[in-house]
Amino acid sequence: MSRLLYVHTGGVNQPERSATPIYLATTAAAMDVEVGIYFTVNGPTLLEKGVAEKLIVPKHDGHGAPLRRFIDQALDMGVKFYVCQPSLDLHGLTQDDLIDGVAMIGGAAFNDMALEADRVICF
Amino acid sequence: MADTPTPDRTLDAKGLLCPMPIVKLAKAMKELESGQVILLEATDPGAVPDVAAWSKNTGNPTLAQETVDKVMRFWIQKA
Repeated sequence: MSRLLYVHTGGVNQPERSATPIYLATTAAAMDVEVGIYFTVNGPTLLEKGVAEKLIVPKHDGHGAPLRRFIDQALDMGVKFYVCQPSLDLHGLTQDDLIDGVAMIGGAAFNDMALEADRVICF
Repeated sequence: MADTPTPDRTLDAKGLLCPMPIVKLAKAMKELESGQVILLEATDPGAVPDVAAWSKNTGNPTLAQETVDKVMRFWIQKA
């Protein structure tokens, strides 16, 4: 099975950048690709409980969808979500503040995943 | 198209945008038996290259495709 690893650095301050890596990862999962998203830098702010329900992914006509819909689709399709502690510390978050289904890894595990993946795609 | 296979199931993805046609196709495919055919109907402008890429990567062949009045139809067989 092919493997893709997405790196998501966008946070709540950039709603227009929030959904794209998530729905691309969802599509990869639908193509029978083993896929994970590593949320780092500002990425973990998208995973704070209660945030994604209120964060609207903008559309030009004003009828955007909440980010939570994209997250739920991804988790439902088997996309794995990862964070690391330093980027949680950056925002004063702990793993308990995050939605269910997010795994904690460290830099070594991330690098190992990158080496094992067929491609790493960074946002 | 004259010689399209008779589908075992039809999946209406008209009006849905990327990535939903592919996500729904992947889910529907899991419920089919090997050799069965699904007819996917979509209006997402990216559907033709997307279904081709999906077929290539999953090994489920697209047997036929037609576009009529901006509705794209794909006959896809479960490998």
